[in-house]
Amino acid sequence: MNTKKNKLTNAREFGVFLVLVIIMIIMSITSPVFLKTANLVNIVRQTVEIGIMAIGMTYLIIAGELDLSVGSLFATCAMFGGLLFKNQMFPPTIVFFLVLICGLALGCVNGLLVTRMGIPSFIVTLGTMKIYRSFAYAIGNGQSISQFPESATGSWVWKLGAKVGNIPVQIFVMLILFVVAHVLLKKTTYGYKVYATGGNDRAAHLSGINIKNTRLAAFAMMGFLCGIAALISTAYLNTVTTTSGEGREMDAIAAVILGGAALSGGRGTILGTFLGAIIMATVKNGMVLLNVPVFWQDGFIGIVVIIAVLIDTLFHRKDAKR
Amino acid sequence: MAPIIEFKNITKRFGGTVALNNVSFSVEEGEVHCLCGENGAGKSTLINLCGGVFAPTEGEIWVGGQPEQINSIRKSERLGFSIVHQEIPLCLNMSIAHNIFLGSKEAVKGVFLDEKHMNEKTRELLEMFHLNVEPTALLESLSIAEQSVVQIAKAVYFRPKILILDEPTAALTNDQREVMFTVVRKLVKEQRTTVLYVSHRLEEVMDLGDRLTVFKDGQFVTTKKVSEVSMDDIVTLMVGREIDKSEWGKSFATGEELLSVKGLGCGKKFHDINFSLKKGEIVGLAGFVGAGRTEVLSAIFGADRPDSGEIFIKGEKVTIRSPRDAIRHRISMIPENRRDDGLITSMSIKENAQVAVMDRISDKGMLNKKKSVELMEQMIENYGIKIGSMDDGVLTLSGGNQQKVVIAKWIGNDPEILLCDEPTRGIDVGAKSEVYSILRDIAKEGIGILMVSSELPELLALCDRILVMHEGRLTGEISREEASEELIMKYAAAI
Repeated sequence: MNTKKNKLTNAREFGVFLVLVIIMIIMSITSPVFLKTANLVNIVRQTVEIGIMAIGMTYLIIAGELDLSVGSLFATCAMFGGLLFKNQMFPPTIVFFLVLICGLALGCVNGLLVTRMGIPSFIVTLGTMKIYRSFAYAIGNGQSISQFPESATGSWVWKLGAKVGNIPVQIFVMLILFVVAHVLLKKTTYGYKVYATGGNDRAAHLSGINIKNTRLAAFAMMGFLCGIAALISTAYLNTVTTTSGEGREMDAIAAVILGGAALSGGRGTILGTFLGAIIMATVKNGMVLLNVPVFWQDGFIGIVVIIAVLIDTLFHRKDAKR
Repeated sequence: MAPIIEFKNITKRFGGTVALNNVSFSVEEGEVHCLCGENGAGKSTLINLCGGVFAPTEGEIWVGGQPEQINSIRKSERLGFSIVHQEIPLCLNMSIAHNIFLGSKEAVKGVFLDEKHMNEKTRELLEMFHLNVEPTALLESLSIAEQSVVQIAKAVYFRPKILILDEPTAALTNDQREVMFTVVRKLVKEQRTTVLYVSHRLEEVMDLGDRLTVFKDGQFVTTKKVSEVSMDDIVTLMVGREIDKSEWGKSFATGEELLSVKGLGCGKKFHDINFSLKKGEIVGLAGFVGAGRTEVLSAIFGADRPDSGEIFIKGEKVTIRSPRDAIRHRISMIPENRRDDGLITSMSIKENAQVAVMDRISDKGMLNKKKSVELMEQMIENYGIKIGSMDDGVLTLSGGNQQKVVIAKWIGNDPEILLCDEPTRGIDVGAKSEVYSILRDIAKEGIGILMVSSELPELLALCDRILVMHEGRLTGEISREEASEELIMKYAAAI
């Protein structure tokens, strides 16, 4: 028996990997620009925002939870940071940390409501999705914030939106976050607890795992990552808008599901999520290159999500039966 | 006349594991044919082949004298099979009647559900099984035993040609079991139903069976007439060796008191529980299902919060608010329900065995793969767990081996006090005796064991003392010397 091949096809990431390869082959045939370095870098750049949020979403989904508030949480962090950068009340470094703390705190609110009050995460974060969006509007009084002062744009924080050579700094940030997240999930006791909690929370609880804090930490991490994404976006775009991040929660969830995670919990990987996020960006990029009308983008991503999950189901049907 | 089912050279592999190896035997119409064998012997696989859950790798199944491809559950039903599985595949959120008629044409009249018909038929059925509940009662309001009965009733209602019962009595009370036997006998007599019966309780095999087939490690051993064999013969055939009972009955208890419980109570579940546990002592907790035994264990382990009473460990008063607290006080608990509370089914064998001992396989929060593999190898050796690869999913194991993984997990925690709830539930004779040996070994090391069990022979064989509960209260304490099944039953029924 060819065990090596089995191992490859059995890997949870196999379905999503196959889809990515197919898309890349189709794209490289149909568009001469696609395989150019500049375009490939651009694809990865476009992955950053969703990719970073999808990291947190991976932990939550494996732990059997969900966060619908990430788009709004992102916007609140961005507006909060934008306001502070603009009014120069604090030095940019302090603002940088305040934004991260803001993200962390809002994530903790989600986590505490879910774990301490026992409200399902779908409902809690549906609520906070609306609440945090209002925060974003309130902070900017309904207006976008742009034209940041020199003190901000000249600071190191703005380097997050810059490039080193031809490669945007944010790509490095994202890659580092993915590596750290992978190690945390696969090589530490915390990752073990996340899988156990999502796999069977009763058994995990009886095994002495603090399932509440395991989940709370995942929510907090989610908020923290939204803060990072917000800072990158602010530095890159030089503007923050009240409506930023709308719909991002579903993109992040789609990336995680593309990556082979199960919404029922206990299953999923960071590598899979990374590939999932790359696919989403590749599809969007490809549609632009092929001059497909913009309104088809979402529909096509929808098709890709279903096909990827279908492939996964076909390959793992035997497992499911046992 | 051709046999109703004929298995011809059946082999079934799962990856590298051979679940059934070239098995051939036949079942005659209108007989009760028992399947015996240890866990992992291949009985469940054989049943799943009949049920169309998966197809044999090699070989053929002949039904009624013809080769049949049983490639779906529907096909299996069409051939006349009806299977009562070990786990109860019913919808807890629906009424009994709706569960019975789920997917049946009888449930509808025109386009609407025929509630009246369903309820009438269900009532008749429940009466036949002496179950005193309304057809409209939700399944979740029933006890596990009653749910099992409903499942059996459902299988019987549709008058199958071949009825397969997989450990149907595991959760039943003695009365319910008798009623079920009566119904089964009636079916066989009046409708020439063929019954394939799987049970670890050999008394049932002797009582109900006409013939029996023994499996061992996926291989066919023999088919015999029940009237021609004794229970000891069956055990020897199944295990392939005599079980050594000479060590049983020796006590390892010392004078030092480990655990003492004073006036423990929790709502309506139990009241005023007092007892103590010594080092190396095995104390049994007997009583009927629902007497509050499991609840007492849960309260000591911190899974439930008692509302009165005190717990002392080595003379010191402790407060245990959660399983984490309990583990810190070096208490471990092997839970009753393997599937729901013991295992994380999405994880591998190794991950399951080590989920409670993360400290032992990590340095400052980082997992250490080498330590983890070494510990697992040690666990496999110590507890005789039979596996393909330690990274396989835990559900690829047989019930007995799953239970050993759960036990390994909890003993790996290095406890001083071990609480176990039905430690041998649903596992076979061979695996049972292995579990007994494991428990006696750890008692010998000075661990105190408090064990809930509904199997009286098990309590008599293992325990130094047996506490008996009735409706939430302790009604008796029996020493090893005076212990007998009659005495336990007397206290359990509070006569």
